[in-house]
Amino acid sequence: MTGGAPSTTAPVPPPGVGPESAACWEVDLSDVLPLVEAVATGGGWPDWEAALLHGARIVDVNARGLELVGAPVGQQAMIGQPVANFCPPESWAILAELIVAVAADRPAHALRTSGIHSFMFRNAILSVWGVPEDGLPDRLWVAVDGDMADDRSFWAVRASEQRYRRLLHHLPGALLQVDARAVGAIFYELRSQGVTDLAAHLQGREELVVTARKLVRVTAANHGAAQLFGAADAETLVGPIDYVFAASPDTARRVMIAHFERRRSHGELMKVRTFDGRLIDVQLTVTFPTPPERLDVSLLSFEDVTERLRTEVQLRQLQADYSRAARIATLGELASSIAHEVNQPLSAIAMNAETSLRWLSRDEPNLAKVDALNRRIADSARHASEIVQRIRNMAAKHAPERVPLALNAVVEEALLFVGHDLEARAITLSAAMAAALPDVPGDRVQLQQVIVNLLLNSVQALAQHGDGGGRLIELRTEAEAGGGVRFVIRDNGPGIAAEDLDRVFDGFFTTKADGMGIGLAVCQSIIAAHGGTIVAANHPDGGALFRFSLPGRPAAA
Amino acid sequence: MREALDDLLQVAGLSSRTYAGAAAFLDDHAPGRFDLLITDLRMPQMDGVELLRRLAATDPGLPAIVVTSDSPSCGQAIEAGALACLGKPVDDDALLLLIDVVLGRERRERPEH
Repeated sequence: MTGGAPSTTAPVPPPGVGPESAACWEVDLSDVLPLVEAVATGGGWPDWEAALLHGARIVDVNARGLELVGAPVGQQAMIGQPVANFCPPESWAILAELIVAVAADRPAHALRTSGIHSFMFRNAILSVWGVPEDGLPDRLWVAVDGDMADDRSFWAVRASEQRYRRLLHHLPGALLQVDARAVGAIFYELRSQGVTDLAAHLQGREELVVTARKLVRVTAANHGAAQLFGAADAETLVGPIDYVFAASPDTARRVMIAHFERRRSHGELMKVRTFDGRLIDVQLTVTFPTPPERLDVSLLSFEDVTERLRTEVQLRQLQADYSRAARIATLGELASSIAHEVNQPLSAIAMNAETSLRWLSRDEPNLAKVDALNRRIADSARHASEIVQRIRNMAAKHAPERVPLALNAVVEEALLFVGHDLEARAITLSAAMAAALPDVPGDRVQLQQVIVNLLLNSVQALAQHGDGGGRLIELRTEAEAGGGVRFVIRDNGPGIAAEDLDRVFDGFFTTKADGMGIGLAVCQSIIAAHGGTIVAANHPDGGALFRFSLPGRPAAA
Repeated sequence: MREALDDLLQVAGLSSRTYAGAAAFLDDHAPGRFDLLITDLRMPQMDGVELLRRLAATDPGLPAIVVTSDSPSCGQAIEAGALACLGKPVDDDALLLLIDVVLGRERRERPEH
């Protein structure tokens, strides 16, 4: 951010530029000469005018010039600043083109003019000229002159600004008006150094973000913002924007990157430390100005979502509690199956142990037999322990998680829970598991619960339905487009009554005398929480069919 | 469980054959081939009660003992023709005593333990 000293060889104002009436600036082009060259030879890029005027620095200004921009700043505050800060955006294109034309007009750098609109002058003329014979190739003078407009136009402008302030103040929600032009200058310098990826450039240069947080200023705040930030009044919030990002420094970095990439807006969830010391969750939305809007107005809106996030956490907990309650209910339905299953290895252990003792008590103990029997005892004990562990997992309290899961493995484990029910009711199971399914993110216990519930649903439908003659359950797993997976189960029972098809997933809907009707409802809530869908239908050849789909891993954000 | 029973019978000096299911047994069986059947009730495809009903028709002379975790179904098993129905885990002394009685064998010396 250099600004040269005013030249001592200021040329005589050219004809048409009144030395007293005109607002006049001396401008240093040394930082943007390559850009001038590029544009003059047909290069540049879509937004080059902004870049040029951010790189062109004011080195001197006359009294009228200070008046014209109406800035509440003195001459010293204007010197060294980018021209863009004091030129209305609607005039950028005209001024930038004049500058390029004069700067590239070697060696004469002759005067060029153009008509512009101005609050202060009627029939305003913008003039740009340089020193002939390439006397000072990196200096230009810019002047605006015309007939003084009457005072009413000033009043009109002030009144509309007052209306705007009042509007801002009374708008619902928390709003900050921000002047981010200072970072415009930083961005220009970065671009001229060849930086195109600010995110990468900021790696290890966090001080740039810190600087920006001090340079960018809140220029107005409304009542809602004062409330949200726990400030005594809106005036307290005016000043460097630093405090907004105190609890979320990374947000400042991302806002800066969005601005650099010329995005229209940026939104994210952030944490805000309020003036009275609370830490709140806030949805931030930043709207960046783009020409021809006023470049000194970026708007930040804040919505306090602390309560909403807390409610979401409670809802998730409730869903977890609900599905656990349903799991325990399911285990209740499986109780006799479970007892039977656990009893198998225990009986084998007892009998193998007795047999071992018999071999040992022979006159010539058969140690080879005893060895084999003891190995079997150990295997059975491990098997019994696995069954208990599986059941304990189903019953345990557990925080829902998302880990990559192989659907086929989840299905196989679920089948262990109902194996005995299938056997006891002479139901034939056929399973067609797709090879090489992609893993999907999910909660193993909950998805197992869904599959067990669907299996039990079919088992119970078949049990109500005649005798063993060909009771059948078919399972299928398949890959879906986009990395998702699908599970389909079908039985050859009575199917679902047409009038019930829409209600099967409703809570407390059941056609069973002893059912609670939460099994299928919990299936739906679990699948929905996984971002998937579940549907119930009747198969054309008879029997009920349930199908659920789970989406694949979300694309890396 | 099947293997455990096989071993128990072996140590008691009895020779036995095991089958993976009721159908496999029926395929292999002819009246007079075996002196005794020991079966579970819950089995895939054909359950124990169905097996007992079929045997009652084809080989009514074959005595059958049921061992099961599903003791409430013992009534059905007895009705279908089983001589006895034992709950799991099986008391091995009781089972061997029962077998001796059914086969009309001398009571063998059994080790104390």
